[in-house]
Amino acid sequence: MAYEVILLTTMAITVLFALSLNVITGFCGQVSLGHAAFYGIGAYVGAMLTKGGWPLLMALLPAAGVAGLIGFFVGLMSLRVRHDFLAITTMGIAFLFVGFVRKQEWLGGEIGISGIPAFGFGRIGLLVVALACAGLFAAVTIYLKRSWMGFGFDSIADDEDTARILGIDVPRFKLWAFVIGTAGAGVAGALYAHHVRYIGPDSFGFVESVTVLAMVIIGGIGSVWAVALAAAVLSVLPLWFQFIDDYKLLIYGLLVFAVMRFSPNGIAGALQSFRRRLR
Amino acid sequence: MLALDLLLQGVVQGAIYALIALGLTLIYGLLRILHVAHAALFTLGGYIGVIVTNETGSLPLALIVAMVSVGLLGIVIYRLAYKPLLDQSPLVALIASIGLFIAFEEVFRLVFGSYGLSFENPPLRTQVNLGGGLLISHSKLLVIGMAIIMLSILAWLSTRTRTGIAWKATVTDSQIASSFGINIERVRYLNFFIGSALAAAAGVMVALLTNLVEPTMGAVASYKALAIIVLGGLGSVRGTLVAAIAIGIVESFGTVYVGHILDRDALAFAFLVIALMIRPQGLFKAG
Amino acid sequence: MLLSVSNVTVQFGGVTAVADLSLQVDRGELIGIIGPNGAGKTTLMRVISGLVRPTSGSILLNGQDVTGWTIDRRVRSGLALAQQIVKPLATFTLAENVALACGSRRMGSPWQAMTTVNRNAELQRGRELLELVGIAAAADDYPSAVPLGHLKCLELARALALEPELILLDEPLAGLNQAEAAQMADRIASLVTESRSIILIEHNLREVIRICPKLFVQDQGRYLDFGVTEKVMANPKVRTAYLGEGAI
Repeated sequence: MAYEVILLTTMAITVLFALSLNVITGFCGQVSLGHAAFYGIGAYVGAMLTKGGWPLLMALLPAAGVAGLIGFFVGLMSLRVRHDFLAITTMGIAFLFVGFVRKQEWLGGEIGISGIPAFGFGRIGLLVVALACAGLFAAVTIYLKRSWMGFGFDSIADDEDTARILGIDVPRFKLWAFVIGTAGAGVAGALYAHHVRYIGPDSFGFVESVTVLAMVIIGGIGSVWAVALAAAVLSVLPLWFQFIDDYKLLIYGLLVFAVMRFSPNGIAGALQSFRRRLR
Repeated sequence: MLALDLLLQGVVQGAIYALIALGLTLIYGLLRILHVAHAALFTLGGYIGVIVTNETGSLPLALIVAMVSVGLLGIVIYRLAYKPLLDQSPLVALIASIGLFIAFEEVFRLVFGSYGLSFENPPLRTQVNLGGGLLISHSKLLVIGMAIIMLSILAWLSTRTRTGIAWKATVTDSQIASSFGINIERVRYLNFFIGSALAAAAGVMVALLTNLVEPTMGAVASYKALAIIVLGGLGSVRGTLVAAIAIGIVESFGTVYVGHILDRDALAFAFLVIALMIRPQGLFKAG
Repeated sequence: MLLSVSNVTVQFGGVTAVADLSLQVDRGELIGIIGPNGAGKTTLMRVISGLVRPTSGSILLNGQDVTGWTIDRRVRSGLALAQQIVKPLATFTLAENVALACGSRRMGSPWQAMTTVNRNAELQRGRELLELVGIAAAADDYPSAVPLGHLKCLELARALALEPELILLDEPLAGLNQAEAAQMADRIASLVTESRSIILIEHNLREVIRICPKLFVQDQGRYLDFGVTEKVMANPKVRTAYLGEGAI
């Protein structure tokens, strides 16, 4: 039972994390190779606050706030660079975050923060909170996609110069995408910190950023359900592969490659063509 | 003296970055793909270099074997992995490439072991006095020399030979090139061969400097080379060289003077982010 | 005065594309901008629309100085641009392309956009505008599935959807055959109302002279003449610029 609870909590947190990037990359078309930084910011803010006596549920808000605020500034920077330049700039931000944290005594430096208090309502309680957060965020993003903001995001993802000519306030829309996406990642990070109860600079590196981007792309850019599904599966895949321990990363890597190679539009694309074939 | 020493260190590091990043830039210039798995070829080059040297005792032979075999593997990767994805969004190729990179690292770990390999008799460890008490090992000299030689050969190839001219034309504008009867596909093969061979050479050089090759040695190369080609202006060979040396020097000075605030990678990326905010298209225009 | 361009100069790295040009447009006018290749017509258009910042000079729209504004802000305050190279949003149907433009003035603020879901009214309006430009049948097609002529009409429909007071049209007739061009020109002329002006850049002199009451002529980035069409076309300087020396 305990094992399943842990597994499900991992899934819910990862789904939230992936859906938050989906707003930036999937909806608005802005590639980020540094999303783990905001996951990390949320984790550090949350951990510091609960260690200082705050209840977790109250700490979620500042975690989202700080991540979203820094996301706002990164969003401002993103207005200057595009496409691959943007991807690498965001990757740079993530390295700056990790490199900064590594050298800060008050954030635990290399060693990180351990002894993060357990959630007051136990493991099951944390699972419920994680599921609620992921569900709420999914609902919000599904709504966003259907709203005019989603329509605007679609046009920016398609061709931002044309979107401008059609009167869309591209910079402001982009900033909103960044703030919503990074705030979501902040919440996911705070939950993660209280799930594993130890965090360090290496928990939020390049690999984590790449992994979450892979989830969004493998799910199929933009589709909330498919991205959630991909995140849920990929988050626990390494655990399922435990029995072939030595080969699990090899299989993971090959799987990521194979999905892209044989179904470039991800799970959403594969489902769509499957449905078309049924008809 | 410290400043000169740091400068020298920076240049050596920059030369290695340049060898790795050059292949990446050539591939980006032609196909607009961020080829992360390039770093795996760098690692493989290092392994082949160490193994062949230990078996035969000849470093030059090891270098040639590493470059040729890795170059061929580069062609295979292009043919099997990237060619079918050229019509897709570049993100697809990027993620596929990352998956491939993870798989390669695991293969190295499974085949060569997790602990890494070293030279039985580390070559070129002796120091040379450059005058004024400035010491440099033969291996570092070789690294700088190799970078210069490889780049000169490349420059010569691209301006003086038929193949090279065709290649440059294709990088500049593949549609026009193909209307002039250039076989684009052959140019792409050549591109992957040369780029991958350069990465292998860099791998051998790093093995010489550190006397160690391990499965994860490509990790740093995988992202830093991306930073360098972006800083250089994506697809610009000259920009890549300048960016590689600049980042090498920023790192060697930065770790000494501001190392207590930011680590090595963060320094390189702080430089990158600031540079991109000032020049959003990188240091040089592609071409 | 609807639009007032004053002493605009644009330089690209030492090359002067537009030199000290001034142009006034009133409500309800249809003005053709003509000039030989390299006259800087498209650059002038890009300055008015906000795609290019002038090196010096100013642009007033409805009495407001918009020189430093981005294009999307100008669009939300009454300007529309249809470009020479058609730029449809490829993942949108034609109707959605127009609908987005219909709503963009209201959805300029992200907050407003976030709290509005219904887009039926805009889609309906989009279909009407597609009908107006004569491509209603293709409303649910994607841009990749329709011919260039349709995409030119789509540009026009999108521009109208912005409910602009001033429309800039860059070579709307290019690439169309003679019959299509005449039809498009008539359509453009019919779009001018008391509250809507059009500036038309066009190479097809015959159609421009036919539909535009006023012409603005520039050559190599410099002002040549501005006024009533017949008078401008009778100007020897204009004839020289077009036909070469000694052709008068």
